[in-house]
Amino acid sequence: MEAQKVDFFMMTNAKYFEGQYLMWLREQLLQLDDSRWPEVQSQQFKDPTTLLIVSLLGGNLGIDRFMLGDTGIGIAKLLTCGGLGIWSIIDWFMIMPATREKNLTTMQRIFSGTTYGPLSTV
Amino acid sequence: MARSRLYSIIVIASLAGFAWITYLHTREYRDNEPTLCMIKNITSIPCPSCGSSRSVMLIMDGNYLAALKTNPLGFLISFLLLVCPAWVLVDMVMKRSSFLRFYHAMESVLRIKWVTILMITFVAANWIWNIMKGI
Repeated sequence: MEAQKVDFFMMTNAKYFEGQYLMWLREQLLQLDDSRWPEVQSQQFKDPTTLLIVSLLGGNLGIDRFMLGDTGIGIAKLLTCGGLGIWSIIDWFMIMPATREKNLTTMQRIFSGTTYGPLSTV
Repeated sequence: MARSRLYSIIVIASLAGFAWITYLHTREYRDNEPTLCMIKNITSIPCPSCGSSRSVMLIMDGNYLAALKTNPLGFLISFLLLVCPAWVLVDMVMKRSSFLRFYHAMESVLRIKWVTILMITFVAANWIWNIMKGI
């Protein structure tokens, strides 16, 4: 893809990814075929800050994990009052890296060509 | 989710669960139990799964009806606490990933719309019941 498009994408979406992967992401996008641009552009990433707010307010009920798509862990947190309250505190710190990791997985899925639209947020 | 991560989460969570139940069982006075639930500690309103430790203890005593009245989720938790660690340990010893496949299959089942709605309704109903009981 054109460097201009890639840089535009990187500027808009840099906050959704872990800093150490940004250069790798740029390289991968430059190698990607131009026909995939609409697909890349239409991806909806989850905002780590939003997830942090949800985690602070509803972390005890596992709502943050449900939003991230980790339904199994969400249920585990819901059933145990947020992992006896300890897990929800751990997740206050872990939810932002976890969100960025999830966004990276979405991008990896595009690069490997197995994308099936934006993941559901339920 | 990666296999090693899921399995370590299950093992740690199960160990914590067993430790918590053992601690509660060794206490002399059962009626004044400590709570780690932040929602209840802060707002004094119980959360949907408040009372599930008491429910699990009642199940261990064989008092199933009282357990159901305390919190029906106790049955689900007891079942998961018995099955999940055993399954994970067998998987780890045999070097298989059957639990991981089952976990992913369950996650996709739970994302079906009507299953999600059913689950939310059940949890909400249980929450309202918990508040009414003042657990």
